[in-house]
Amino acid sequence: MSVIPAIRVTGLTKQFGSTTAVDHVDLEIAAGEFFSMLGPSGSGKTTVLRLIAGFEQPTGGTVELFGQDVTGKAPFDRDVNTVFQDYALFPHMSVLDNVAYGLRVRGVPRTERRDRAMRALAAVRLDQFAGRKPSQLSGGQRQRVALARATVVEPKVLLLDEPLGALDLKLREQMQVELKQIQRDLGITFIFVTHDQEEALTMSDRIAVFHDGRIEQLGTPRDLYERPASRFVADFVGTSNLFDADLSESLIGRRGEHSIRPEKLTVSAEPPSGAQMRSASGSLVESIYVGSGIRQVIDLDAGPRVTVLERNDRSRIADQERGGRVHVSWHEDDVVALIPPGA
Amino acid sequence: MTTTTTPPGVTRPVPAPRRTAARRSSAFLATHPRVRLGLLLTAPLFWLGVVYIVALALLLVTALWSVDSFTGQVRTEWTFDNIVQVVTGSLYQTVTLRTLGIALAVTVIDVALALPIAFYMAKVATPRMQRILLIAVLMPLWASYLVKAYAWRSVLSQEGILEWLVSPFGGHTPGYGLAATVVTLSYLWLPYVILPIYAGLERVPDSLLEASSDLGGKPGRTFRSVVLPLIFPSIVAGTIFSFSLSLGDYITVNIVGGANQMLGNLVYTNVGAANNLPLAAAIALIPIVIIFGYLALVRRTGALDNL
Amino acid sequence: MITLTRGARAAMIASVAVGSVLLLSACGTAGASGGGAAQEATQLGEMEKTVSILAWPGYVEDGSNDPTVDWVSGFEEKTGCTVDAKTYGTSDEAVNLMKTGEYDVMAASGDATLRLIASGDVAPVNTDLIPNYAGVYDFLKDKEWNSVDGKSYGVPHGYGANLLMYNTEKFPQAPTSWDVVFDKAGENAGKVTAYDSPIYIADAAVYLMTHQPDLGITNPYALDETQFQAAVDLLKAQRANVGEYWSDYLKEIQSFTSGDSVVGTTWQVIQNSLAGEGAPTAVTLPKEGVTGWSDTWMISSKAKSPNCAYAWLDWIASPETNAQATAYFGEAPSSQKACDFRDDCEAYHAGDADYASKIWYWTTPIADCVDGRTDVQCVDYSKWTAAWQEIKG
Repeated sequence: MSVIPAIRVTGLTKQFGSTTAVDHVDLEIAAGEFFSMLGPSGSGKTTVLRLIAGFEQPTGGTVELFGQDVTGKAPFDRDVNTVFQDYALFPHMSVLDNVAYGLRVRGVPRTERRDRAMRALAAVRLDQFAGRKPSQLSGGQRQRVALARATVVEPKVLLLDEPLGALDLKLREQMQVELKQIQRDLGITFIFVTHDQEEALTMSDRIAVFHDGRIEQLGTPRDLYERPASRFVADFVGTSNLFDADLSESLIGRRGEHSIRPEKLTVSAEPPSGAQMRSASGSLVESIYVGSGIRQVIDLDAGPRVTVLERNDRSRIADQERGGRVHVSWHEDDVVALIPPGA
Repeated sequence: MTTTTTPPGVTRPVPAPRRTAARRSSAFLATHPRVRLGLLLTAPLFWLGVVYIVALALLLVTALWSVDSFTGQVRTEWTFDNIVQVVTGSLYQTVTLRTLGIALAVTVIDVALALPIAFYMAKVATPRMQRILLIAVLMPLWASYLVKAYAWRSVLSQEGILEWLVSPFGGHTPGYGLAATVVTLSYLWLPYVILPIYAGLERVPDSLLEASSDLGGKPGRTFRSVVLPLIFPSIVAGTIFSFSLSLGDYITVNIVGGANQMLGNLVYTNVGAANNLPLAAAIALIPIVIIFGYLALVRRTGALDNL
Repeated sequence: MITLTRGARAAMIASVAVGSVLLLSACGTAGASGGGAAQEATQLGEMEKTVSILAWPGYVEDGSNDPTVDWVSGFEEKTGCTVDAKTYGTSDEAVNLMKTGEYDVMAASGDATLRLIASGDVAPVNTDLIPNYAGVYDFLKDKEWNSVDGKSYGVPHGYGANLLMYNTEKFPQAPTSWDVVFDKAGENAGKVTAYDSPIYIADAAVYLMTHQPDLGITNPYALDETQFQAAVDLLKAQRANVGEYWSDYLKEIQSFTSGDSVVGTTWQVIQNSLAGEGAPTAVTLPKEGVTGWSDTWMISSKAKSPNCAYAWLDWIASPETNAQATAYFGEAPSSQKACDFRDDCEAYHAGDADYASKIWYWTTPIADCVDGRTDVQCVDYSKWTAAWQEIKG
């Protein structure tokens, strides 16, 4: 790569006692990218973030920041800033002092740091709360203060550790949009850790899916969703109907493991006709109205239970009785072959 | 549906709770929180009132009495003689200053020692090490005060371990005296200073330290600007222990203090040997006044606001 | 000897922690009220079932503290009186307990006896009813702390002296004078020790009796203002050279063992302990004389078991029991015959009348000078206490 990446992580390994939290991770994140690290808890994503921030020292491997090796450097010597999961606002300081802290540490004169802090607060629409203590703010407001505090020092890379985890759904969706806008406005690299696949898919340029301390798959949201490379990714990112090798052979007519997304399946009373369409018969177990669509659970005669998600207007057999005979059909192109890890 | 099909007598209905007196009073209390609170607090408040307030008041009152030097009986007529004597007597001024100096020195030493130890325990040590250290800090509290004081007497003696350790480098044990008193008291009260500071540090989330470091704060700056303000009330709590315990001590100075005496010794002598309870009470008021002054000072700094 | 308990130490300390102006008043009126209403017994009757005894720790041992230390069981077997013993920590405490009338017998130090006599809490003792009284050293009988107006109020128990202890390495030649802790104390600055009690002012007075005869001190417990001031000044000068004051038996043993103290006041029992440890110390009785203590067994004027009480006084004065008890506590016994049952009598100079005459037994200083002077007021004990605090500073 001719362009120097914002972050390059090589062979990064971290062991806590006998457990390996991060296992030889290699990663390159381009400047200005919104990069997400997605995975269940204990998958090593947060540890990678903390290794990049410098809160932990790696057992092996290196961390480079814009081509400069920062492995072994203290957090205060790294040009990255972090938005913490619990926000980590200083409870004894006012909102303004919290935001100005990084500037104060850097010796910025009083009036200038006040102005800059106020501007950062204004950017997150909290300038009228400058005099308050963090305890007097709501969760969403605190989150924005944390963001202002981390961005006011103009880092090259901003690390966000599940920053929206503590917010309720409505606020979270709102903040997702805001974060994305702020990232675009500032033009800096965001590394975003989350266990919420939807959040990751919504916001990210690229996503690394972590599993057991390794990167299971790395790609754009579309890649991950449409072409999950493994059973784990297919299952963790969205929901999938998984078929093992034997079922794939009999139902789909292909070798190896495969998956099909619920929304790629169609339920009909009669077997479909058309090129490249395949189907299997089964009986309806449950039909659930979920607002934007209808989720139907069907036991295929061949064995597996599959989930089908259909839009409301197309659910012609929404009134089908439980236990009724149905056909589940799909297009050949929507079948995704899963590559086992390491293959 | 099931109730209609079950034949009567197969399942007995759950009997309604009996209207016992206990139940009625519970029901009354449940709906009258103020009465409940009042009953709950009566006993402790009574004890607080009797044991603390009345005892203090009695001390003050006793200080205003005098002893009839002829009959030895306490004369319950008001007089400020004892107070005047204690305030103006050069002996009391000297001993008060000495006691205050010792208490301050002990407090400063203890805080200086406790801060790094507590910080290591709370923020650096592994959970296992943390437990071991906590036990190590608490362990001296299991031993008798006298045993520890006599141990220091042995350590500080002319043929003690300290002399043996430092004499090859030309040093000498301070021997028995004020320095020995300060050292021994610092040792005795150290756990009482470490524990509140440790507890305070435990309450400071690690992420605050990381946030400070993340924003460019070097360890010193992080300590000054983040840790210290947050644990200041805990430090104050610790200093109240070491300061007030030192102010009132008379045994340690007796064991390792050489020929020196502190306020506690004067109280002890006047109660025991001299049978002059009013004068002893007047002397005992000195540390109380100092402690109240100290608390007032601390209050002004706002350290007690967040307790 | 080394088995001496903390209790015994406490007793010794407490016997000095005198106090009380109560005593002063009691003595002040002693002449007028005499022995009070109590009458001495003229003959003994049937033994009662129990006898309650109030004593210093270590004085009434029934083997519960140390199985080998037991002189109560023998008494119970011989007389059929069951002993119910209580120990006390200070003379003030003892006087208050005695006033309740709950106790038949009490062992009192010189600072409590006169108070009890004056208040009528104890009765005169008919020594004719105590066969073993005859064997008691004459120099312990009819003294101001156990007799009033020629009436004996008890049986002497034991006595001891406050001696001069020195480190034999620092003093190859035994010092002959207290000047090593006073005028020449500077030679061992910081390593001089002194007894931590106002009564120690008497030690300075004893020294002044020889070294400043023009002060006219005739009794170290009867000091007028001038004499008292001279003693206080002497002690203030001594203060600069004192390493530490001691009132704790173990504390002095340790400081002489470690060399933190090399010269100062002590008790024979401490020297015995140190000798047992092989410490380079020795004691001497300086030419100026010494202070000391002497304890007395007394009987309550409200005794419910007077016959058992008399039996106890006789029992404890018997050579064998007295030897056991005084040996356990660490003091000289009250009779020569007791020495037949002790092998350390020489160490305590038991029966040495000349030695005993050099001892100024602890007596509480009162305004009415105990040396008989009537032209001056003496400094009373409350002022001694105040002065002692000033001396220590």
